Amino acid sequence: MVKIMRFFLIVVLILSHSASANAADADPRKIIDEMEQLYRGASSDIKMTMVVETPQYERKMQLTGQSLGKEYGFFRILSPRKDRGIATLKRDSEMWNYFPKINKVIKVPPSMMMGSWMGSDFTNDDLVKETQLIDSYEIVMVENDLEYLFTLTPTQQAVTVWGKIEYLVSKAPLLPLSQTFFDEDGEKIRVISFSEPKMFDGRMMPSVLEVRPINKDGYSTRIIYDDIIFDAQNITAQTFSMRNLKARF
Amino acid sequence: MLTLKLAYRNIFRQKRRSLLTAISMSFGYMLFVITLSMVEGSWSNIVDIFTLDHTGHIQIHNGDYAKRPKIHKTIRDRSSVESILVDHSEVASWAPRVYSPALAYGTKKTTPAQIFGIEPKLEPTVTRILQKVSAGSFFSASPNSDGYFSAMVGAGLARTLNIVVGDEIVLIANGADGSIANDIFIITGIVGNVTSFDRKGIYLPLTVAQEFLSLGSDVHEYSILALDKHKNEALAVQLQAQIPSVKVSPWQEIQATFYKTMQADKDGNMFVVGLIVFIVFIGVLNTVLMSVLERTREFGVLKSIGSRPGDLVRLVFLETVMLAALSVFVGFLLILPLIYWFTDVGLTMGVAVEIGGVEFDTMKGELSAFVMLMPMAFILITAGLISIPPGLRAARIMPRVALGSH
Repeated sequence: MVKIMRFFLIVVLILSHSASANAADADPRKIIDEMEQLYRGASSDIKMTMVVETPQYERKMQLTGQSLGKEYGFFRILSPRKDRGIATLKRDSEMWNYFPKINKVIKVPPSMMMGSWMGSDFTNDDLVKETQLIDSYEIVMVENDLEYLFTLTPTQQAVTVWGKIEYLVSKAPLLPLSQTFFDEDGEKIRVISFSEPKMFDGRMMPSVLEVRPINKDGYSTRIIYDDIIFDAQNITAQTFSMRNLKARF
Repeated sequence: MLTLKLAYRNIFRQKRRSLLTAISMSFGYMLFVITLSMVEGSWSNIVDIFTLDHTGHIQIHNGDYAKRPKIHKTIRDRSSVESILVDHSEVASWAPRVYSPALAYGTKKTTPAQIFGIEPKLEPTVTRILQKVSAGSFFSASPNSDGYFSAMVGAGLARTLNIVVGDEIVLIANGADGSIANDIFIITGIVGNVTSFDRKGIYLPLTVAQEFLSLGSDVHEYSILALDKHKNEALAVQLQAQIPSVKVSPWQEIQATFYKTMQADKDGNMFVVGLIVFIVFIGVLNTVLMSVLERTREFGVLKSIGSRPGDLVRLVFLETVMLAALSVFVGFLLILPLIYWFTDVGLTMGVAVEIGGVEFDTMKGELSAFVMLMPMAFILITAGLISIPPGLRAARIMPRVALGSH
């Protein structure tokens, strides 16, 4: 579940980033808002590889993902064979997992939202939460010649587990570099770093995303984008139906 | 030697009194033996119930798995562990196991459950699982014609999910590689009853459970039966020395709370019996003291013809201990057949007591060197101790005063 959230987050970030390449004026709210606005309404069709590393095991999964706006998301595992066909559907703030072997759709209960998605360092919540950075966070920007550093602190009304997010963005090209998440006590919890920018469907964006929990030694999750198609015609609201979740593919 | 002869003769001088004293000591001994046999017997019965229900006499884990189970704390090098278990002459049988919590789905309901992955051929050599199958039959590791593997479920789980033999059960668990294990199994048997420790358990064949949980061929636990269950702790120490890479624990460590409760109960019983025997011996003390006072003149004569005080103390001591030894010997002969019967046949209780799905309808004692000899030693030592004050009294007798008395 968490992974799905992360995927969404990543997709959002990537989309917003590539869209705001020429919006490099000094208004932080405008930059982030533009990122979000640009992401909204856009759809994407993604092929990716997820590598989960823990002190006990390393696990590599191949997935496909589709997104539509920030409301809809759909992921399906292609390999390993044992897990092939396991799918996750996200609609607004609700999530379902589908297990083809037992032909069951299981809704992710609210209590499981902070649990790990498919054994990765992403939580289910990461996939579901809408990245309302502009509505939920106060933004302070610091810049030097090469980078912007946005410090996001949640507003009184914001529903979030984070006390602070530091968002580092490079100026040229305008690409996200890292996001550092802090809890309410100011303790660093995890870092998401973006690297290896590549051209996808005409847009330059980081192709590797790595999540590293600070307090868990030896744990990390890497997402490598193999292919992204933006504004794919075949992605409609129908893609995000229960029927499609349970469909053979 | 003279003292010994005197002591021997003195016992038979007052035959009636000696007989009465001997009877009370004999009964004290027999009471002690019966109580001890019952306490040891019933506890050893209870220990058998749970060691043979699941725990075994010894368990092997990786590190602190027994205290903090984590799915990845597995025993990887199985062949080196198993080759030692196969070769060890004190190991009667052993069985590998894997465990995992899971979510079980019946047709309508969902409930948490505990997966036990057991080896279908080896597990029955360690536990009474075959006798615990209350419906259906014990499973095998091969799939049915539709490709589904078998599972046996605890009676509590079967009742909660409202499923019977032949139904499907869906399990979801966390795999060792972070994947979500999910599969359908066919129920071939119901295990135990709703009071069993495994009422919420799901038994899967070992290889099936390993595949389901992505464990490869790793296992979480070996359960071992020792040839001599009383020597399991020593065997555990030996095995630990032979396989230093894993943690070998006797059941006394695995079930530490139970073990402490049992020891406390045994100690309590021992104290009560000890107290009763002590009261018996206050009577004995009285008798010995009486016989000493009665023989004041005699002791006076002995002293005046040259007996040293120490000789008199020794005389009284020998008299008492010899009488005690005689009583204990007679008591031993009388009680041995009873304890033997009690251990072999046992008292049949009107109502069968069911513990963990295994029924017990006889109460049995225990016949062992400890049960027979410990009370013997206790009686002889107490008799010896009790003879000292009268002995000292005899030793202090002044011949002049003694010969003047009547």
